[in-house]
Amino acid sequence: MATPPLALIAELTHRCPLHCVYCSNPLQLRTNSEELPTGVWTQVLEQAAKLGMFHVHLTGGEPLARSDLNSLVSVAHSLQLYTNLITSGIGMNEKKLASLLAAGLDHLQLSFQDAEESSADRVAGVPVHARKVALANLIHECKNLAFTVNLVVHRHNLDRLDSMILFAESLGPQRIEIANVQYYGWALKNREWLLPTREQVQRSVVIVERAQERLKGQVKIDFVTPDYYASFPKPCMGGWGRQLMLVDPSGMVLPCHAAAVIPGIDFENVREKPLSWIWEESASFRRFRGEDWMPEPCRSCDRRALDFGGCRCQAFLITGDAAATDPVCSLAPTRKLIDERLARANSVTNPGYRSAPAPESADPWTYRSQPA
Amino acid sequence: MASSGSFSSGAGLTTLNRSSQPRLAVGCRVREGEDGVGALLLPEGVLRLKGTAIDILRLCDGRRTYAEILAEMQGRYQSADPKQMEQEIESFLNRLQQRRVIDF
Repeated sequence: MATPPLALIAELTHRCPLHCVYCSNPLQLRTNSEELPTGVWTQVLEQAAKLGMFHVHLTGGEPLARSDLNSLVSVAHSLQLYTNLITSGIGMNEKKLASLLAAGLDHLQLSFQDAEESSADRVAGVPVHARKVALANLIHECKNLAFTVNLVVHRHNLDRLDSMILFAESLGPQRIEIANVQYYGWALKNREWLLPTREQVQRSVVIVERAQERLKGQVKIDFVTPDYYASFPKPCMGGWGRQLMLVDPSGMVLPCHAAAVIPGIDFENVREKPLSWIWEESASFRRFRGEDWMPEPCRSCDRRALDFGGCRCQAFLITGDAAATDPVCSLAPTRKLIDERLARANSVTNPGYRSAPAPESADPWTYRSQPA
Repeated sequence: MASSGSFSSGAGLTTLNRSSQPRLAVGCRVREGEDGVGALLLPEGVLRLKGTAIDILRLCDGRRTYAEILAEMQGRYQSADPKQMEQEIESFLNRLQQRRVIDF
């Protein structure tokens, strides 16, 4: 039998006031009318706790767009689940924050698009940066709430990483997460604009290491490196169906944020099946669990227990075959597909090189849309 | 811009001494498992803790001093070499402090 999952990612809604060009939500956004009612989410949380999960990550879209967020936090807390709110902060105010704390919220992760207002607002597609800074000050005042500042980095802000870290530090979090864009959903659509150069990546590694050393014992800095520049794939989600379950706004249960793009897999819905059955019995969660599905070179590779063959969604999105070795692996027969991308990203003739597209550009990046 | 003095997020003195009163940092808590294995819940994940590690963390309540924690542990494990035990506990607490799991 499968070891129980560690955490539930509850994607409460796809509604979001921001339109970030690197949003990890699927291109097919769930509509308002598809969203699960409070009662079903409550059952999902109960089932998650019963399955032995430790954390629930409340995310979206913007989870604050759900009017029942407070009661869901309260339910999760009463089930002894660790509650983590992943938010843009838009929709939060002093009163809501106080009631979320009273409901038992353990941790809040606030994302920033940049340290510079104009660049941040350009990535988000709406002027929200100043409000987020004001909110960070409110959060910082809450002594009982753990606080992470999340910075998403890419070609258009990596050159300012030093000042972005100072900015994040000034907001007073216990933890800073610096995450390179990963190319799924809207980010994949905008990959040409967002993929950093090799030089940027190399410099950023040094900057992060220095900041980690300087802030040791004060602020923990976690760094998500860009896998296109790596020699081996990331152990995506800790392996398919090994640690995590994601429930999307409509109740569809996935092993990760992106798996719905993979054709030919029937993902179950919490309206029809309990989480425990989905985890243990469903064909979808067993599809890439373990090693039986692996092709060569994974099947005989010493690293197969470290990275589980990498990311199935990335394999599908880039090679067209979800059961292929993750193409970022230097041993993958399809690595050239990644190298071609890197060659473009590192070419000065790339139109996205250095500057973000002008708003009136004929070939602009695509802002994440709103669900219908 | 930001100096360490600007942090009011719980990061206090960063050197462990006998009168330090270690406590779990905000956002970190211990959950008891049914199988006797404790889980340390952190914002970004779970650390499963066994035996003495979980015992030590239970003693980090913000009231007991480091000296008291040492005495308590040495009392419980009288056959262990006290010097070696002190070194191990000190290095365990320092590692957790650097990960922002406990404050002194």
